[in-house]
Amino acid sequence: MVGMNCPNLVHGVRRARQSKEALEAKRRKEQSKLRDYLALTDDVLTRVRIYSRYNAFDLTRREQKKRNEWSREALNATTQLLQVNPEFYTVWNYRRRILINGVFPESTPEQIKDLLTDDLSLTMEALKIHPKVYWIWTHRGWCLNNVPSRPGISDDGDPRGWEKELWNQELFVVEKLLDADPRNFHAWSYRRLVLESMPVPKLETSELAYTTRKIESNFSNFSAWHQRSKVLSSLWSQGKLDETKSKEEEFDLVHNAMYTDPKDQSVWIYHRWIIGSGDSRDILEREIAIIQSLLEEEPDSKWCMESLVHYKRLLLRNHASSVVTSTLTQDCIQLLDQLREVDPGRRARYYEIGDSGSGLTLTVTLIQHTSYIWFMSYFKRVLSIDNILNDKWRDKHWWAILLTLAIARLAAAAVQTTNAAAATATVGLRDGSLSGL
Amino acid sequence: MSHESNSLLIPLHVSYIQNLGKNKDDLMYHLTAHLRMNAIYWGLTALCIMGHREALDRDEMIDYVMSCWDEETGGFGAHPDHDAHILSTLSAIQILVTQDAIERLDINRVVKFILSLQQPSGVFAGDSFGEIDTRFTYIAVNALSLLGRLKELNVEKTVNYIVQCRNFDGGFGSRIGAESHAGQVFVCCAALTILDRLDVIDTSMLSWWLAERQLPNGGLNGRPEKLEDVCYSFWVLSSLSMLKKVHYIDSDKLISFILSAQDPEGGGIADRPGDMPDVFHTHFGVAGLSLLGYPGLVDIDPVYCMPAALIEKMGLRKGWQALERRTG
Repeated sequence: MVGMNCPNLVHGVRRARQSKEALEAKRRKEQSKLRDYLALTDDVLTRVRIYSRYNAFDLTRREQKKRNEWSREALNATTQLLQVNPEFYTVWNYRRRILINGVFPESTPEQIKDLLTDDLSLTMEALKIHPKVYWIWTHRGWCLNNVPSRPGISDDGDPRGWEKELWNQELFVVEKLLDADPRNFHAWSYRRLVLESMPVPKLETSELAYTTRKIESNFSNFSAWHQRSKVLSSLWSQGKLDETKSKEEEFDLVHNAMYTDPKDQSVWIYHRWIIGSGDSRDILEREIAIIQSLLEEEPDSKWCMESLVHYKRLLLRNHASSVVTSTLTQDCIQLLDQLREVDPGRRARYYEIGDSGSGLTLTVTLIQHTSYIWFMSYFKRVLSIDNILNDKWRDKHWWAILLTLAIARLAAAAVQTTNAAAATATVGLRDGSLSGL
Repeated sequence: MSHESNSLLIPLHVSYIQNLGKNKDDLMYHLTAHLRMNAIYWGLTALCIMGHREALDRDEMIDYVMSCWDEETGGFGAHPDHDAHILSTLSAIQILVTQDAIERLDINRVVKFILSLQQPSGVFAGDSFGEIDTRFTYIAVNALSLLGRLKELNVEKTVNYIVQCRNFDGGFGSRIGAESHAGQVFVCCAALTILDRLDVIDTSMLSWWLAERQLPNGGLNGRPEKLEDVCYSFWVLSSLSMLKKVHYIDSDKLISFILSAQDPEGGGIADRPGDMPDVFHTHFGVAGLSLLGYPGLVDIDPVYCMPAALIEKMGLRKGWQALERRTG
């Protein structure tokens, strides 16, 4: 348990067979680096061990002056060490303690601001080489949160001026990093932090436009679709955007993406979220038709098949009384068969989907249909001319059969309705999520 | 592909792990001091699962752990003189529990340290500097559970934060608003499992998302459109195991993938075939193989990522499912 990016050990480094001589040469070359590193570490940790845990307030002014371990010299030692090893979290901690306890108390607000700007440069350089190291991002956030107010403000001044300037800059910095790696989740998290913390908040609709840009430049950008889902949910819940109308626009965007790259899973996952619990039969049927046409162009598209199964099952669950359940059920069974062919690795899941729900629905549908057919045929026989003339129609056993068939049909209908009700009752964990299917 | 990648090269991996601490001349060894406590936990657990726990000296290990105790904060650092952090604190506890040396711990102080890291929002910080992450929530829940002090946790607050991390795809992120990632899905599922709150998970959606992590080469990735990596064999698989959907992925292909990422010369497992191995991927590769029922391995508990028998003995076993252990 450590981090969600593999620790910076030797991740992603190709294995190469090296000769004994080459390995020995490498080792010798590293020796001086190692010596320097160990010396530097020893120097810094000695200062940490003895001094850094003392709160400045525990020491008198004189004692503080005697101890130079909150000193500039100490600060410079941490700078050196962190440039070599930015994953040394203890040294980031120490650096912050030096600044808070030693350097800031001796500095004007302007100087503090400059020191923090220096640290922003330091972390920026580090991020260019190590864009996924948690400790660097944390330190950057710490710097921003410690920007002081501007002192002695004149009429046209703004006490939060420095904060505004630096937070605005952060947005620009994180945009650059996301241009370099649009899937860097550290950068996205930091972006959300910046948006939350900016003294002058950016409009959410503007952030929505940012996600549009990111998505349009690459439909495969799941991180951007995710951000979009958050921004939209927020705008909908605040009533700033009409949810129904907005969803229609999302469908347009998604259709475009689907047709451009039907293999990209982001789009299909996002589409399922927009469909949500499938309350609207019209929307379900429309989307099914669109995906069906796409499947005709891309007959092996597992995403089309998977989505069609899901949406048809939603129809069966939520709108059973107004759809042809037997056809839909047959479709699902066929699609699941095809899915097992094109995506054999995940066949266990497709079997499971086939067993639950549609199995029950099939059985129930079969009972409903066959009981109806038999009912009608027995009814005709009972009331045939022959039987009326022979008085056989009064025979109890005919009516027993008819009653049984009627009950079977009613029971099947009841099960189907209850099933649908139960499925919809479990939905509602959260808007747009599905469960129990 | 050499024939060696058809089986798990246990003796090689055991000696790989044994040799890890020996190369004090290696610059990389020193550059990773901030991970040392974690590395020892990974090495020890991998050895346990391979049935060779005795390959590392128990007393030396316990002494090392105790030398990382930070008396002032009541937690453990990654290395002597390194600051206490929740990450190294959990690894220290896991090592002591696995080595049956929990009496060395000042449980009250550690519990106090861990509980002090819970934020008003319900999430946990890693240390006093306040970085928050659902990883730290899992760590806190896991640690308190191992120490028998889970009742001191504000469960509702803890679960409430995790729920707010739930995303449109059924998965979970590192904090509110963050994208789903298999590692974060693991920590949230595991925390919820320990707290008996799996009800807040949209199982059909999340198990679908997890199943789709498997790539044509058999390996698993951590998010859509990313590369396969052996460590996801654990993060994804253990999550599926807790949701009782381990059968949703192709186990034969995943086993082949993990085996092909072994270093057949020096031992150890890498993130993907052909790369240099490291103890992190060795541990998670072996853990994944155990969950997949690979023959000859010891059962691992996917929730705690520790030997299953030990967790069961402590009365902490939850209702997860792994694949049947194959014979020979």
